Amino acid sequence: MTSHTVTIPAELGQIRVLGKTVEEFAQLAGFDSRTGYACQLAVGEACENIIIHGYGPERSGNIAMTVTATAGELKVELCDTAPPFNPARKPLPRELDMENPPVGGLGLIIIHRVMDEVHHERIGSKNCLMLRKRLLPSNQESHAA
Amino acid sequence: MEISQKEYKRVNVVTILGRIDSATAGEFETNLVELAERGRNNIVLDMSDVEFISSAGLRVLVTIRKAVQSAGGDLVLAEPSERVIDTLEIAGLDVLFTAHPDRETAIASF
Repeated sequence: MTSHTVTIPAELGQIRVLGKTVEEFAQLAGFDSRTGYACQLAVGEACENIIIHGYGPERSGNIAMTVTATAGELKVELCDTAPPFNPARKPLPRELDMENPPVGGLGLIIIHRVMDEVHHERIGSKNCLMLRKRLLPSNQESHAA
Repeated sequence: MEISQKEYKRVNVVTILGRIDSATAGEFETNLVELAERGRNNIVLDMSDVEFISSAGLRVLVTIRKAVQSAGGDLVLAEPSERVIDTLEIAGLDVLFTAHPDRETAIASF
């Protein structure tokens, strides 16, 4: 098991720092580059939500990310001190309207489509969001081979 | 992110390099809105060197596509990178956009 914690100021321009770490750890977990990219994307969306909807324009703070890689599994924990914001509720499935495609809620859709587990907990003054991605057993076997 | 533009008789080609995320989507949108406001509603986006696009970038694509289509034009993609294709598929928006294998084919589609 390999684990690493990194803290960034809650600024949109800083999200890429976390994305790079997520991609590295996805590789350590044995994920292919496309799955690693998808995880980076999902974590980026979660961070955007924390910054834009959690802290908002009026507040400043940090996001602490702990990323853990084990064989075939990546776990990402994001903690912040913004007001309670829970992105763990799965968005309802929706039909795509070709004429008026929705532009809202895409971040949540991406998070829930990429990750196998999304769990939010409010601990004291902190939001703790846990995202977990597991490699499919068939992929694990082919990776081991 | 770097953006460059080339104007043809009927089409504008916008080439984007790097990341389109919440930190850069504003600049991306400004460039495309400026084209639409000048009545340049046939747009090819060369996305072959886009290394990352988040939902903020997708929102710009969807919004501008709608604006140019309602003015009689269209927005198509040229050689979208694997990461652009993956993001569109994950978000379920891949069916909205016509993707051409290269910019010449995309230009010729107008």
